[in-house]
This record gives sequence, C-alpha cells and structure tokens, in this order.
Amino acid sequence: MKPLTLPLRILWNAFFWTYERTTWQYDIMVIAILAFVWLTPPELLNDPMVTDQGPIAWALSFLD
Amino acid sequence: MTFTGLIGYLCMFPLRAIIAACVALRIHPNILTFLGVLINVAAAWALGQAHFITAGVIMIVANIFDFIDGKVARELNAETKFGGFWDSVIDRFSDIALFLGLIYLYSTRGRTDYVMITAITMMFAIMTSYTRARAESLIAKCKVGFMERPERIVLFMIGAFTNRMGAVMWVIGVLSVFTVADRIIYTYRELRDAPPEPAA
Repeated sequence: MKPLTLPLRILWNAFFWTYERTTWQYDIMVIAILAFVWLTPPELLNDPMVTDQGPIAWALSFLD
Repeated sequence: MTFTGLIGYLCMFPLRAIIAACVALRIHPNILTFLGVLINVAAAWALGQAHFITAGVIMIVANIFDFIDGKVARELNAETKFGGFWDSVIDRFSDIALFLGLIYLYSTRGRTDYVMITAITMMFAIMTSYTRARAESLIAKCKVGFMERPERIVLFMIGAFTNRMGAVMWVIGVLSVFTVADRIIYTYRELRDAPPEPAA
C-alpha cells in the first residue's frame, strides 16, 4: 500500500485517534474543539438557546 | 507538561482532599457512584429548565463523585468486580439523563432539529461505551477514539457555563461517530491479525 502524504496522514491520525490524554496531540485537539465551540457564530449552527455573542464578544467588550 | 496535563494536575489538589475525607468517613464507593447518578439527574432537570449555569455547577458536584469512587475504592481496599460493573452501568444512566434533559428542553422550544441532533449524539455516546465493552470481550484492549466519557462531561460543562450547548452537541456527536468507527476498525484489524485459535 502507498504511504500517505503528510496532510492525509494528519487527517487520518485525527480521525483514527490513538493518542493518550496529556500529549501534545491531545492539546491540539482540545484547542481545536474549544475554538469551534466558542468561535463558531451561533447563527451558523442555529442554536436555539444562544442569546449572546459568546465568551469572545464578552471578553472583547472589556477592551472597549 | 502539556496544557491539559497542567489542568488535570491543578484539579487533583481539591480532589485529593475530598478523596481523603471520603476515606476517613469510610463511605462505600458504590454509594458514591449512586450519589453521582442522583446528582446528575438534578443536573439534567436544570438543563431541561434552561438553567445552564446551575446545571454546570451540579454537573461539577456529580462528576466529583463519579471521579473519586474508583480512587476511594482503592484507598479502602474495597475494589470489587461488581464495583466496576456498577460504575459502568450507573455512568450510562448519568450520560442518558443529561442528554434527556437537553432533549426535553429542545422539545419544549419546538426545535425538532436539535431534538434529533441530541438524540443521535446520545445514541453514539452510548455506542462508544458499548463498542469498547463488546470489543474487550473479544480482544485485550480497545482504547481508541477521542470522545470518551471524561471528554463528554467536560464538554457538557463548557457548553453549560458558556451557553454553547448547540455547538457542544455537534462536537460530541461528530467525534462520537468517529470514536465508534475507530473501535470497529481497530477490533476488525485485531481479530483479522490474531493467530487462529487451535482446534479443540
């Protein structure tokens, strides 16, 4: 079988997850998940409960 | 030390004190497990009422019980096979309770789309546990896939405290599908590559 190219290998390793907790790969996954949860505009997901712009907008309001 | 390792290390300080208190009071670990599910039902009720911050606080308390029961059992020398079984079964009830709280909430808001997303996420969360349990009756270990119970619980808390339950349901759902697929692929490969059993 032909070896996977680097981007495909990264994708495959993210899908076929074999890393332990407290590894740098785990940290990157956690950061990606938190970024999705906090940075995705609620309108995009049509979230029925969201009435605000979220923690990022809340943090930015302190800087204004 | 990694970022998640540091968070785990810091969380262990208060938990060690709670474990020591439970050991000193000689509270049976199975009782701690059961208290955990009861408190999780309260968290589910709070989710159902859209009291997300309250639900988040209750989830923290409930999951302290979930987390320490095994450690208290070890300290008290009270580890039993039944304790492990009881813990796994009760954990599934806790999981389902939280999802049902959200399903109730979305149904009262008339949001069939999120009722379905949450229901499908619940199905794959349960299948994540089932695939591992069933696989480990055939192979030695099947600990692959990202979205296990601790990740689910932490995400529930993040969703509750920051009012991002919709995004959290998507993340848990998609990553649970991957986790179930990982476990099926891993078990298939392990069984395919295993040496044939000698004939009886």
